[in-house]
Amino acid sequence: MMKSRILVLTIIIGFLLTSTSSMANPGGEVDSNRDFTCGGSCHGDPSLSAPSDAVIEIRTVNTTYAGTMTEVEVSISGMDLSKNRLLGVFLLGSINGNSDTPSDYDWSIIQDPNGGSSNYVLIFVPESGEITINWVLLAPSEVGPQSIYVSIHHGSDSNPDNRAFIGTTEGYSIQIDSIPDDYPTIADNWVALEERVAGDDSPLQFSTVNTDVLSVEWRLAGEIESHTAEVVGADNEWQAQIPASLGDTRIEYRITASQGEYNNQMPWLSMDTVPPYFDGNLFGARLQSISSALIIIGFVLTMHMILAPRQKKDELDQTLEVETSEEVSEPIPIEEIPDIEPEVENDDTEEYNSRLIHSEDNPGWLWDPVESEWVADPNNPPGGDS
Amino acid sequence: MFAITFHHMIVGIASGTGILMGICALLAWLGNFVSNLDDFQQSFDKTSLLSSILCFICMPLAIFSGTYATSDPGGIAILYNKFVFSGLAIGFTASFIAGRVRFGEKIWNDFKLSTLQMICASGAMFWIIITGSIGGKISIGESVMDIMPFWPDFTSTIVLPWWISMVMLVFGIASIFVALKLGPTVNKISD
Repeated sequence: MMKSRILVLTIIIGFLLTSTSSMANPGGEVDSNRDFTCGGSCHGDPSLSAPSDAVIEIRTVNTTYAGTMTEVEVSISGMDLSKNRLLGVFLLGSINGNSDTPSDYDWSIIQDPNGGSSNYVLIFVPESGEITINWVLLAPSEVGPQSIYVSIHHGSDSNPDNRAFIGTTEGYSIQIDSIPDDYPTIADNWVALEERVAGDDSPLQFSTVNTDVLSVEWRLAGEIESHTAEVVGADNEWQAQIPASLGDTRIEYRITASQGEYNNQMPWLSMDTVPPYFDGNLFGARLQSISSALIIIGFVLTMHMILAPRQKKDELDQTLEVETSEEVSEPIPIEEIPDIEPEVENDDTEEYNSRLIHSEDNPGWLWDPVESEWVADPNNPPGGDS
Repeated sequence: MFAITFHHMIVGIASGTGILMGICALLAWLGNFVSNLDDFQQSFDKTSLLSSILCFICMPLAIFSGTYATSDPGGIAILYNKFVFSGLAIGFTASFIAGRVRFGEKIWNDFKLSTLQMICASGAMFWIIITGSIGGKISIGESVMDIMPFWPDFTSTIVLPWWISMVMLVFGIASIFVALKLGPTVNKISD
C-alpha cells in the first residue's frame, strides 16, 4: 500500500516537473491571420508572459483615400531573442484580444512582409537585432479615423522563468478620406501574385478602376535602379511583361495608375521565384525504386555467371593422363577411361572438333592446340580395340 | 503518430545493420591482402551475412512506415529521391545476399567474386548513408553528410516516365530469370 502511494506521488511530481520545464511554441507559429492573443497563447497570459524591451516604430501616411493602396512600414529593434532568433509580428486593427485583425476593420492585406497576405508573420532576425518590414494594405472603403497597431511575440536567451515576451505599440491613427471621383487605383478584387515559377515569363495581370494609363516598374530585390515594363491592355484590364526570373531571386514591382490629372503611384510589391512544380507521384516513385533494385540484382547475378570459377576445363584437361600413358606405355583399360563424354558434349561444337589434331604417336588422344592439352578421342578411346 | 515513431526505430535498425554489413564485407575482402585480417575473415563473413539479412528485412518496413509518416511521400522531390535511393540500397543488399548464398562462405577466397561482394556491400552502405542523411536533413536539419565539403542537390530529382520504369522492371526480371534458370549452374566454392 505504501509502495503504491509512493509510486503515484512520484508520477505526479514527475508530471509537475515536466510541465514547468516545457515551453509552448518555441519554434514560433507559421504565417497566418491571427488575433492579438494568438489563440490564448502564453504570450497573452499575464501569468506566463513578460513585457518585451523592443522598440517598435510604425511609419505610414496620416491620411489616405478609401480603397487605395497604403504601405505600413514597421521597424523593430532592441529585443533580446532566443537562440533561434525568431520573432512573431502582428499587424492589428485593435488590441481587443479577438476580432482585431485588419480585415475585421475593413482593411485588405495585399501583401505581407513574407510575400503572403497574413496579418501575422514569423520573421528571422539577423544578428544586428534590427528589422524593417512592410505591409501593403488596401484602405477601408468607409471614411473616418482608423488605427493600426503592431504587436510582437518572442522568447529570450536568458530566460530562467521561461517567460513568453510580448510587446505592443500605441495605435497609429490614419484618416480615411473619401476617394475623389475618377481617381485611378487598383481594383479591390485584384490579388497580388505571391510567387512565380522560375523561367516563367508570362505577363502579370492587373485589374484597375478609373485608369486610362497603367505603367509598371520592376527591379530585383536589393537593386535601386528600376526598369519600365511593357504594358498592354485597356478597359481597366492590363498585362505587364516582366522578365522571367531564375534561382533564388525576388522581383519587386510598382504600379502607377493614371487618369487625367490624377497619378496614383502605389507601393512596391514583390514576388518570389519558386522552382518548377514537381510532377512525381507515389506510384512512380515506387515503380522507379523497384525497377532500380531489380536492374541491380539482375546485373550482379549476370556477373556471378561470368565470374564464377569454371571447373569444366579442368575436367577436360587429360594431359596428365596422356603423359602418364606415354610413360607406362600400357594401354589404359577401357573401363578406366574417365567418363568425359557428357562434358565434351557441352562444348561439342564444330569449331571445337575441327581444331583437334590426331596424333599417330598417341592413338586414342587428340591434341587441342588452343588450350595446349590432350583430350580423349570420343570415336577412338585410348586403350580401345581400334 | 506511431508511423513516425516506428519509422525512426526501424530506420535506426536498417541503417545500423547496413553499415555493419558494409564494414564487415570490406574487412573480409581486405583479408585477401592483409594477413592479420585473414584470421577474422570467417567472422566478418558471418556478421556481414546476418546484418545484411536483417537490413534486407528492415528496409521495406522503413519505406512503408516512412510512406505513412509523411503527407505527400512521392510528391516532393527530396522524398522521391529517398524512394529511389532506398531501391538502390535494397538492390545492392539483395545482390550481396545472393552472392553469399550461391557461392558459400569460401566466396572470399575468390578474388573476383569477393571484389563483387565488396562492391555490393559498399554500394548498399553508400545509398543507406545517403538516404539516412536526407531523412536527417528533413527531420532535424542536419546529417552526417554535413561533414562533406559539398552537399548534392537532393531537392531536385530525375522522374522517369512510368513506361521507362516498366521497361527497366521487365528487363530486370528477365535478366534475373536468365541468370538463375537459363545460365550455367553455379556451384559453391570449395577449398
